[in-house]
Amino acid sequence: MGISVHLHRVFQKYCGNLETIEAKGSTVQECLRNILILYPELEKAIFFAEGKLHPLIEVYVNSSSAYPDALKKEVNDGDKIHIIHTLAGG
Amino acid sequence: MLSQDELARYDRQIMIPEIGLPGQERLKKSRVFIAGAGGLGSPVSLYLAAAGVGTLVIADYDRVDITNLNRQILHWSKDVGAKKVESAREKIESLNANTKVEIIDETINDDNILGLTNGCDVIIDAMDNIAARFVLNRAAIKRGIPFIHGAVSGMEGRVTTIIPGETACIGCMYRDYTKPGKFPVLGVTPGVIGIIQATEVIKYLTGMGRLLTNRLLIYDGMDLRFREFKLSRNPECMECNTGKG
Ligand SMILES: [Zn+2]
Repeated sequence: MGISVHLHRVFQKYCGNLETIEAKGSTVQECLRNILILYPELEKAIFFAEGKLHPLIEVYVNSSSAYPDALKKEVNDGDKIHIIHTLAGG
Repeated sequence: MLSQDELARYDRQIMIPEIGLPGQERLKKSRVFIAGAGGLGSPVSLYLAAAGVGTLVIADYDRVDITNLNRQILHWSKDVGAKKVESAREKIESLNANTKVEIIDETINDDNILGLTNGCDVIIDAMDNIAARFVLNRAAIKRGIPFIHGAVSGMEGRVTTIIPGETACIGCMYRDYTKPGKFPVLGVTPGVIGIIQATEVIKYLTGMGRLLTNRLLIYDGMDLRFREFKLSRNPECMECNTGKG
């Protein structure tokens, strides 16, 4: 069992239209790196600069916000990561 | 005291035990700041006026454009070109003359926001950018009053209720990042989100129910699903951990 990464609809086109991807890793960053090996197109959608999440990307681990150091957040087998994007319209 | 007209007008909500006459009187005495008379500001202000909130302070510097009309239901075809705050006041006053509408036809910023929110019980986020939300968040923290955050795009929206000193604030959630421009949106989306914001305001003012605090409610109109994420205060937040709070 790994970590399930749930991607917001806008990112699914970069990942074979998958809504959930199983990943391995002990931090959010490791899980994402793990996914990017399979789906490199996703990188430009969620990373702003090398190693830094885009400011409009939000990460939740087990439904709790991982802000502000989302990438360093530790995860364990069975955890759920949600990757969504900020909305700013009104 | 409520007039005979008001007692009749609000009869159905006074029947809600948690509101009753005391709650209705509290609504009448309340003063709510609504930042923006657009997609979110429209349902928020109409429902708060319908519910009998005594004073609405509405800020918007913009004029009505035809591209606003798919969602900004305060503004009608005849209003294209008019000041949004004036169009808003006209509709709200004809819905409920018991609600006083004070209008502010200027851009909000850190220099004017404290003066503009003077005497307000709550601030509502009906803005269209993150930078303005930081301005409102700081004002809410300085004043120690709730800030009801809402945002939309396309078929999605989000809401959370911020209580300074108790809950996560805008700075505990976001980086101050400006993404310029025009966003896609279907009118019903700010309708859904604005009505949830108005619900939170009425609950707060009357003291009923459980507020949407430290909970980010995400609405997905495509799947028609609500999801909730937990928020928590960031001990290093630059916004809510300096001085007060
Ligand atoms: Zn904060």
